[in-house]
Amino acid sequence: MKVKEIMQKVVISLSPKLSAKEGLVILLRRRISGLPVVDKNGRLKGMFTEKDFLRYLLPSYLDKVGEFRYEENPKYIKQKISQLAKVKLSDIMRKEVVTVEEDFTLSEVARIMLIQKARRIPVVSREGVVVGMVAREDIVRALLHEGNS
Amino acid sequence: MYPRPLKFILLVAIPLLIGLAGKAGGLTSQQCLSVSIFLASILGTLFFWDFRLSFVFLGTSLLLITKTIDLENLIKFASLEIILFLVGMMVLIGVLKESGFFAWIVSLLLRIKNLSGRRFLIIISIASALLACAIDEVTSIIFMVAAMLEICDYFETNPVPFIISSVLATNIGSAGTVLGNPIGILIAVKSGLTFEDFIIKAFPLAMLCLTALIFFLLKWYEKPLKKMDQKIKELGANEILVRLISVPPDRELKKGLIIFGLTLVFISLHHRLEILLNLEPNTILLIVPLIAAGAVMIWRWQRARGYIEKDVEWWTLLFFMLLFAQAGALKYTGTTDILAKSILNFSGGKAALLIPLLLVVSAIGSSVLDNVVLVAAFIPVVQSFKDLGFVLQPLWWALLFGGCLGGNITLVGSTANIVALGILEKETNIRMTFFRWFWVGLFSSIITVTLVGLALTFLPFYK
Repeated sequence: MKVKEIMQKVVISLSPKLSAKEGLVILLRRRISGLPVVDKNGRLKGMFTEKDFLRYLLPSYLDKVGEFRYEENPKYIKQKISQLAKVKLSDIMRKEVVTVEEDFTLSEVARIMLIQKARRIPVVSREGVVVGMVAREDIVRALLHEGNS
Repeated sequence: MYPRPLKFILLVAIPLLIGLAGKAGGLTSQQCLSVSIFLASILGTLFFWDFRLSFVFLGTSLLLITKTIDLENLIKFASLEIILFLVGMMVLIGVLKESGFFAWIVSLLLRIKNLSGRRFLIIISIASALLACAIDEVTSIIFMVAAMLEICDYFETNPVPFIISSVLATNIGSAGTVLGNPIGILIAVKSGLTFEDFIIKAFPLAMLCLTALIFFLLKWYEKPLKKMDQKIKELGANEILVRLISVPPDRELKKGLIIFGLTLVFISLHHRLEILLNLEPNTILLIVPLIAAGAVMIWRWQRARGYIEKDVEWWTLLFFMLLFAQAGALKYTGTTDILAKSILNFSGGKAALLIPLLLVVSAIGSSVLDNVVLVAAFIPVVQSFKDLGFVLQPLWWALLFGGCLGGNITLVGSTANIVALGILEKETNIRMTFFRWFWVGLFSSIITVTLVGLALTFLPFYK
């Protein structure tokens, strides 16, 4: 079985021209943890996830400072949230995105998900246009179904 | 900076021309090759920093293929003892980080009482210098910057003057002990200088430079400091900052501190222990971090692999190793002896001129080059002065201070500068311009290099 047979073909995507706030509102409304960011031709430009938002909020040196616990909310959290409407989605989205192609096998997609620690992967055509999305749950369900049939 | 094609042309042309000029000047083919290959590695590092390891890999292979140096000597000059020392220290730093030591330092800085602009600048300068002495400049600057950004953000103050001050103090402090900078251990091992020598001679000089730097910075940044005072008046005390972070659990922190403290104690006593145990100079100095790292990896055996794989910067260490080998090839072929004689002729054979000359050249050199590259190149030259009847100790100190203080001149002068400015840009979108750094860096370097030059030339203590 190929990934194109099980992928979600109707893909909601975000424009890089949106603000981070607009992108986040769409994620929360759709109750989805992340969406692909595509240009006007549908080509993949990046992924915007809740994790990218958290990464924007907190300092980049967190892991370098070592173990500690926040006992208060730093002042900049409020400031950064208030500036969210001015921040471009393209500035905080993840630009290096793991992708698969339509004719990849389920095992290959599973392998990529395991190695790259990815939960949802955009499926792209050879031209880089997003044609679907595949989640870990889709792969598990399809593999289970295939194994039992 | 130069466009990429020009960099390529310079990378090929300069070593080639210098090699040909050397041949015409009477150097042997192997001497010319050792100079050209080393020069190509230096230029490659300067122009294409991300590819530095490729350059030393290729250059070192070329040295072997052309029989410029044999394998046995190449390995000898690669200075495995220094690499192992750094591996041990990196593992210990990883343990300290994991135990919350760095976050604890950040929390202490956030709790500074009766904060004022001047008080803040003085404390961060002293803390930066002392921490660089005890740990290493690159590690210490990360959490110093973290603390400064938190404080400046809270008081809505421009962090740039404080970040620059902290980096300048860090580079000065890194000359104070063997641990502050890789060039410290490199010079100690190659010169036979002990940790005690560093504490007695280099540390006071570093503190003198730090004092001068603080006075200079208080004057240079008078306006930003006054602005910060106004903000502190407006916003009140740093109450939220005081309880912003905690470091759980205390027990882990104490254990980490005890291990690191014991390591420092044994390192500081290494010379006496070596005499007591009739060991070769610096044997204990080099093995103490290995013993401590070994003990830590037994204590936390589940994480031992992580310490070695994640906390040890193999990329940097391999670069150092092959760079030392290439610099060793200069010594092996006798090129550095010729260079030492030329420098001596230039200084008129006077030691009094040689010290400031070496200090200034290494300071200027390390303002654009990685100081390890520069010092690795100069070490065999300084060693060659011994055969010409010179007392080497002041020359070693000149090389150490030149290498560390010169890093303050430009914003790419040392790894600490690059790391600090990288975090600053990422967190605040403030991109440091060359000249915003240059003038304060240049003046502070002129002051500190002059102080060191005077001390090394005129104080009998340093002879």
